[in-house]
Amino acid sequence: MVNEFDEILNECLERLATGETIDQCLQSYPEQADELRPLLQTALVVKKASAIQPRPEFKARARYQFRSALQEAASRKSRPVFGWLPHWATVTAIVIGILLLGSGVVAASGYSMPDSPLYSLKIATENAQIALTRSDLGKAELNAKFADRRVTEIVYLANKGYDGRIDDVTQRLDEDLTMLASRTSAGEAAEAPKALMAPAPTIAPTPAPVPPQAPLPEEEPVLGMDSGSGRGQLNKQDELKVTVEQSAADNIAALQAALDKAPESAKPALQRAIAIAEERYQRAIEALE
Amino acid sequence: MHRITIAANRKGCQVQNEEGLVRRAQQEPEAFAQIYEAYFDKIYRYIVVRIGSEAEAEDLTQQVFLNALKSLSSFKWRGVPFSAWLYRIAHNQVVDYLRKKAKHATESLDGMVKAVVSNDNPQMELERKVDIEQVLLATKRLTEAQREVISLRFASELSVAEAAKVMGKSEGAIKALQHSAIVALRKALISESENG
Repeated sequence: MVNEFDEILNECLERLATGETIDQCLQSYPEQADELRPLLQTALVVKKASAIQPRPEFKARARYQFRSALQEAASRKSRPVFGWLPHWATVTAIVIGILLLGSGVVAASGYSMPDSPLYSLKIATENAQIALTRSDLGKAELNAKFADRRVTEIVYLANKGYDGRIDDVTQRLDEDLTMLASRTSAGEAAEAPKALMAPAPTIAPTPAPVPPQAPLPEEEPVLGMDSGSGRGQLNKQDELKVTVEQSAADNIAALQAALDKAPESAKPALQRAIAIAEERYQRAIEALE
Repeated sequence: MHRITIAANRKGCQVQNEEGLVRRAQQEPEAFAQIYEAYFDKIYRYIVVRIGSEAEAEDLTQQVFLNALKSLSSFKWRGVPFSAWLYRIAHNQVVDYLRKKAKHATESLDGMVKAVVSNDNPQMELERKVDIEQVLLATKRLTEAQREVISLRFASELSVAEAAKVMGKSEGAIKALQHSAIVALRKALISESENG
């Protein structure tokens, strides 16, 4: 049996949630007003205090790790098909597959940071993933994911005081976001990224060129990365837009937070990273419209 | 007498969309990213209020989503919203954490539950800004069930119906628990303000 006062209290809580004031609620229940008022005041205080937001750095790190786990899960679920690839790419794919299955090194490299010996393997694996993904939208999804990684790496470098390496990673962030925009622009072929950064990249960051494709078996997905075409394509593009908008907000907030705490020596590089992230994310979101 | 009409099915539309999304995520894990974005902050707040620590809540929140991803294929639609399933994972994570923490606890909360404050203090200073630390401290004086209902209703903003699904109780029981939790919180906050 439901207690009447419990019902009244709950109704008032719901009304407060829709923007009504305590006095408006109490007007409906004058006989219970004395008992209700302090409870509603308490509820408002608790609700206000409970509106805690996770730290941007934590959100960026958590998203990066979660996306890595998603990618791993997607890879396990998919059936790789290499028939459409030319010989060199097939061999590359098989070698990578053997590495993935036969050792934890590649998996471990996914979490490596730019000061790790495994970092170059991480970048090479990313480039291979791009090359082995068929559709532009699939590639763009990867670019978005890799951009998240770059931001996490920049924040990591800033925290560690390795300011000399931030520009290199920012260069890759620039390229990932530029490729993301160009791959999702209607009617535009993927164009070479226009680097804003003065220093030349130390690792060739541009995704490997995709060779001319042989006719494809229509029903076969490729490594679980592709979005296919037709009806699903639009939905996936909408999803990607939501993801990129969210990433843009979180990543820029994470970089700003890192800037606030960074040593003076790292601030110029971080400011360049923020400027590039803001401009490139804006362009990518416009391209996804 | 007013009848309750406002809260009913407030999120019905969202749940319908969610069902399609979850079904797709079971086939294509990457679709789970949208669910992650929709629930991340809410689950984080739920855990913060449950355990009373923002720092510890970070790792637990992350683990909730990794566990959900691992178990996603086993999720079946049986009239229970996906959010209830997700919060159950978060609940289990919190219970595990609290159990481990209790083993290493050096302080007892027993003594903290003794505060009994008169309700006839009309000018109570609750209008002043009460920061999160005070509220989190106050929630430690609640029972586990009271703390959970506060987490679900105020931190995660779930409806009574959703909270009932998460906690496996009737809606009436949730309303009663909510009432007792607010009363207990009020006493705890008054006690804190008097002590310090």
